[in-house]
Amino acid sequence: MARIGIYVCHCGHNIAGTIDVKGVANYAASLPGVAVARDYKYMCSDPGQDLIKNDIRDHQLDRIIVAACSPSLHEATFRNATAQGGLNAYYFQMVNVREHDAWVHSDKAAATEKAKDLVRAAVYRVKLHKPLERRRVPIRPEVLVVGGGIAGIHASLSLAAAGKQVYLVEREPTIGGHMAQFDKTFPTLDCAACILTPKMTAVRANPNITLWTLSEVVKVEGFVGSYQVTVRHKPRYIIDDLCVGCLECVEACVFKEPRFSDEFNVGLGKRKPVYMPFPQAVPQLVLIDPETCIEFKTGKCKKTCVEACAERNAIDFTQKERLETIEVGSIILSTGFEVFDPHRIPYYGYGVYPNVYTALEVERLVNAAGPTGGEVVLRDGRKPKRVGIVHCVGSRDEHTNRYCSRVCCMYSLKLAHLVKEHTDAEIFNCYIDMRTPGKTFEEFYNRVGEEGVNFVRGKVADVYPDGDGSLVMQVEDTLLGIVRKIPVDMVVLAVGLEAHRDADAVRRMFNITCASEGFFVERHPKLAPVNTFTDGIFLAGCCQGPKDIPDTVAQAGAAAMEAAALIDKGYVELEPMTASVNEEECSGCKTCIPMCPYSAISQKADVKKAFINEVLCKGCGTCVAACPSGSIKQNLFEDEEIFEEIEGVLAYA
Amino acid sequence: MASTAAQCQLDSVSGMTLDNILQFPEGHRILSCIQCGVCAGTCPYGDVMEYPPRKIIAMLRAGMVEKVFHSESLLNCVACYACMTKCPRDIRLTDILLPLMKEQALMHLPELPAELQKALQNTLRYGNPMGESSRKRAAWVKNAPVPVPIMNEIRRPVDVLWFVECYTSYYPRGQDTARATARLLHAIGADFAILGNEEKCAGECGRLTWEPGLFETLTDYNMAVFQKYQFNRMVASCPHSYNAFQRRYIPLGFTWPVDPVMAYLAYQIEKLKPLLTRKLNYKVTYHDSCCLGRFNDLYDEPRALLKAIPGVKLVEMVHNRMNSICCGGGGGGMWLDTYFKAKGHERLSERRVKEAVATGADVLAVSCPYEVSRFEDALKVLGFDKKMVVRDVTELLDEALEEQP
Ligand SMILES: Cc1cc2nc3c(=O)[nH]c(=O)nc-3n(C[C@H](O)[C@H](O)[C@H](O)COP(=O)(O)OP(=O)(O)OC[C@H]3O[C@@H](n4cnc5c(N)ncnc54)[C@H](O)[C@@H]3O)c2cc1C
Ligand code: SF4
Ligand code: SF4
Repeated sequence: MARIGIYVCHCGHNIAGTIDVKGVANYAASLPGVAVARDYKYMCSDPGQDLIKNDIRDHQLDRIIVAACSPSLHEATFRNATAQGGLNAYYFQMVNVREHDAWVHSDKAAATEKAKDLVRAAVYRVKLHKPLERRRVPIRPEVLVVGGGIAGIHASLSLAAAGKQVYLVEREPTIGGHMAQFDKTFPTLDCAACILTPKMTAVRANPNITLWTLSEVVKVEGFVGSYQVTVRHKPRYIIDDLCVGCLECVEACVFKEPRFSDEFNVGLGKRKPVYMPFPQAVPQLVLIDPETCIEFKTGKCKKTCVEACAERNAIDFTQKERLETIEVGSIILSTGFEVFDPHRIPYYGYGVYPNVYTALEVERLVNAAGPTGGEVVLRDGRKPKRVGIVHCVGSRDEHTNRYCSRVCCMYSLKLAHLVKEHTDAEIFNCYIDMRTPGKTFEEFYNRVGEEGVNFVRGKVADVYPDGDGSLVMQVEDTLLGIVRKIPVDMVVLAVGLEAHRDADAVRRMFNITCASEGFFVERHPKLAPVNTFTDGIFLAGCCQGPKDIPDTVAQAGAAAMEAAALIDKGYVELEPMTASVNEEECSGCKTCIPMCPYSAISQKADVKKAFINEVLCKGCGTCVAACPSGSIKQNLFEDEEIFEEIEGVLAYA
Repeated sequence: MASTAAQCQLDSVSGMTLDNILQFPEGHRILSCIQCGVCAGTCPYGDVMEYPPRKIIAMLRAGMVEKVFHSESLLNCVACYACMTKCPRDIRLTDILLPLMKEQALMHLPELPAELQKALQNTLRYGNPMGESSRKRAAWVKNAPVPVPIMNEIRRPVDVLWFVECYTSYYPRGQDTARATARLLHAIGADFAILGNEEKCAGECGRLTWEPGLFETLTDYNMAVFQKYQFNRMVASCPHSYNAFQRRYIPLGFTWPVDPVMAYLAYQIEKLKPLLTRKLNYKVTYHDSCCLGRFNDLYDEPRALLKAIPGVKLVEMVHNRMNSICCGGGGGGMWLDTYFKAKGHERLSERRVKEAVATGADVLAVSCPYEVSRFEDALKVLGFDKKMVVRDVTELLDEALEEQP
């Protein structure tokens, strides 16, 4: 006969306000096998936990039940108390009488009866609990960081400073991300390059960081502590170790003038087939674009670049794509964002009227290193005299993205200031709500207002040409209650931030979750903001949601800390409620394999039976239910335990 | 094509009033309005409306909506769906909130504008807003270039019941469209018939100018006629009646698939194309009707038809597709021209033809029977009638059709 101890928690008024906790405890005492039944104000408090430990000793208890809040909050607490009392931690069962009962019912008598039913079910099942042990898995000390924007850069440098080995994988030819494209950054207006490029160079120089550009992760296997990651290196057609970044090849290219659309300048500038993305690119290596290089197209180029490179001999047209596999213990995803494509809102005329620009394009125009040398001029060379800035393009709209992109109000204020500074133009910012909630952001708004920027409260409804070459922004000034037709020379669309087009493929590869908008989902929005539901994979920056640089950097630091903490502890403990296959009964039908959301199941090649990797299994139970021959069982959720629980809940008088 | 989602929604909003509006999910959405003003900003009459949708919602939420009823503001609403299409909260302005408001506004008017009053009375009495005799509805058939079977004469099931509608039946330029449509249907071998003198206005305009009593009289009548006959699908000449069938008749038991003529022809473009052999050297600009375009996303179908005509060069106006500007005929605007004029408001048809002329096109192609007369008139008033002609897309297709024996 078992000796069960039952503890019914009041949770202040949370539970006791609706449920007659004493009544439940008294009832529980009457159930067969129950040795002790008590109610207590706060079971999670130290005295509450001591009750359990002392009773185990004084009453020789061998099973513990706590009826309280959700197991997601305090199951671990009470399992620990059970273990400290000298029992196996899994001789414990938690009953949720708060979220599942007190909080969702108003009829006190019925809620009390329900609590009794739930407690009885636990009594029936806990008797069958078996002792289980947590497994420890060692953590490899290397960390993979995917994406070399400011998030990835900061996380890599923090980890490297703590002495950890980092692989930083970036798919573009240089690191830096979006921040490298900006001129100044709000709210302080410090020069983006001045604060970013020292960090980029530091990445290159740090012996703890292996930097791979033009590279992408193509396969991830394994689990927390030991991930096997396959990286594809795209050819640069330049031998890294031999190139000194002198740019003589670029100078010598058979194309005398740059002719091809330049990605870094979002198409506003031109480059040659051999080029450096921007002067401070890291690594300081040129690359050759096979799409535009004559040698690749015809095989008959004079290859003046090779001549110019001379004895350095860094150019290699024969380079091929290469795969490389590395082992890491944890991973930080910092793949950032894409800007919204305003072609999707036809009434703003982007792509139709040449003087409609995206904010990112204007970032390049105001940049001294940009395609116009920092002069804000229209495509026809004119300096704009009147400029309209349209807020919320692709944000806060059911037809595009429902969320607020968080940074556009602030960068629109920044661009208003910068464009005014460069051109002395009259500026009109048309906004729905001005969102300036960061430190010193409101002060910045104030400053830009005092500089004489016009603020019009209303969402721009239409942009069209007025016949004499300028554009009209039609908008209701909702504060004046009139529709205004504001003539401008240039329209700047404050495009929102979106998840990468391939975010879904990336999240599948890393086995994490995306919300419907495509941003990666954190484990808990408040308390685990950089963790994912997959152990050992962390998030930093805009891949988790739109945010500004200060928040990105803070999050990157936090993600680095989480990874470092894992490494320093050296191991992780895994919950033992994993599933396992009874090989004798398994027919090898493979039904379970695609069902597992964590890719924990494979088929053993020799015996053709399913095999569950305990380290990957999260105990969700999907395969257990799916197996046609019933040959998968799961710890703590064995058939008998569940059937007894059902018997118990139904055994009301 | 009729979407089931839209049908269910419409089922669920019948019975909605301003008092119970928040109890319907579609109505409840007004609480999500962020007062962005894109509705007023895009409204073709936004600068003259005292209470554009944004302000109506603000007044409703502040409990001051009575004031709106006493304003003539809503008479300006031409039910063009522009505000609803751009509203970032997807609030059902044009088809739900504004008609409810308009009903109240019309009730509070000391008297209805005479022209509108007359049109509504005519529709009730004769089944068409012009006040023509219902016995002459099928008169155009006599001059049709091909046989046009009439349901109660042929007494057999047909594949397509073609709903001709009022303007297409009576108005001389509308009859041109009717004859062109008949020839096209014939050419692609459609097994079709019309209701002839039994047909009456589908009632969509009454609905959007809000005369629910009138609407019900017409729907009851039309449904009874439809049920007498056997046909597989309906094809409607007028986008307004298409809307009525597709969205408002369904709760009354209307089960047939229905397409506007433009879509029906576009779906059979492969059959039609080889027949379009005569080269038309026209530069054409197409005006998106509000009902076909914004409300039903039929932007590509009419354009595909025009592009199928040899020699036609298609050019776009500044405002096209979802950003098109209404001809001013919707929501009762068809019968408010005198009223607008008295108020000194610009006629939308004139605003629109200025854009059309600016493209340099010589033909303004349309797909809604309201538009022919409105635009022809506007061209005349502005002195552009030598530069540009208005043709229904079906007329252009008909003209390109090879000569038939
Ligand atoms: C127009 C504009 C102006 C802005 N101005 C400011 C400002 O003034 N101040 C401010 O604080 N914030 C500003 N922001 C916000 C700022 O851009 C972001 O906070 C910041 O860039 C986020 O950094 P990140 O590293 O998360 O993302 P990103 O900068 O997007 O970097 C992500 C990196 O990951 C790489 N990558 C993506 N996918 C993969 C993959 N699968 N494999 C390998 N690599 C990958 C990308 O190539 C990129 O290098 C602005 C944003 C915009 C759009
Ligand atoms: S467009 Fe929609 S959200 Fe904006 S003010 Fe109008 S009704 Fe409100
Ligand atoms: S439906 Fe058209 S006319 Fe009516 S309020 Fe909306 S935009 Fe204005």
